[in-house]
Amino acid sequence: MSSLEKRAWLTLWSMLPPYVVYFALQAFYPQLTAGFLDAFLVLGATATVHAIAYIAGFVVIRHRERGEPLQEDERDRAIDGRATRAAYFMLLTGMIVVGMVMPFTRSGWDVVNAALLVIVLGETLRHVLIVVGYRRPRLAY
Amino acid sequence: MPTEPIRNDVRLLRFLAQDMTQAELGQRVGLTRQTIAAIEQGRYSPSLDVAFRIADVFGKRIDEVFHWRRDGEAATDAKAPAGS
Repeated sequence: MSSLEKRAWLTLWSMLPPYVVYFALQAFYPQLTAGFLDAFLVLGATATVHAIAYIAGFVVIRHRERGEPLQEDERDRAIDGRATRAAYFMLLTGMIVVGMVMPFTRSGWDVVNAALLVIVLGETLRHVLIVVGYRRPRLAY
Repeated sequence: MPTEPIRNDVRLLRFLAQDMTQAELGQRVGLTRQTIAAIEQGRYSPSLDVAFRIADVFGKRIDEVFHWRRDGEAATDAKAPAGS
């Protein structure tokens, strides 16, 4: 498995569980995050779990990759480029909605959570497309 | 768009070159071992630059290493007449 594919899997595994829990809490138990401090703490805990899981996984991957002379080449860059392009358009569309439409109808944490959701979806799309790019090359270049 | 991948003899040429490893070939042409494996399996067609480098490693011309056919063309490679 290439270095980029490993990092894509790592991002998906470290990012999705905490943020799925976070958005599930926002959707089904909004009373838990009703206050500013509560919401801030839940978001902080989510981001911390994500960061710790990613850093731990990254250290393990780097340790196992010792001795690999080259980490990335033209194929990795082509797959990454296509995935990043698709995710960029998704992020752009989402940010237009969050930044230019939502302020007229919603405020506060609704806007924050919508922006966070768009970022998480954008990152998810990028890394899913990277993984798919290695397994379904016809879709990747 | 071509539906047939570009075929190649990289695996055979590696074998003939004292069983050169994928990692060694990759190092010499600036690719990862995984990409050399993908090229051999027809899952990735390298850039022209890399294709020339691979052919150069084996001391071959590029068309002796990589082969492409039009869709529906017979399996036996037919050489186009010179000047056509």
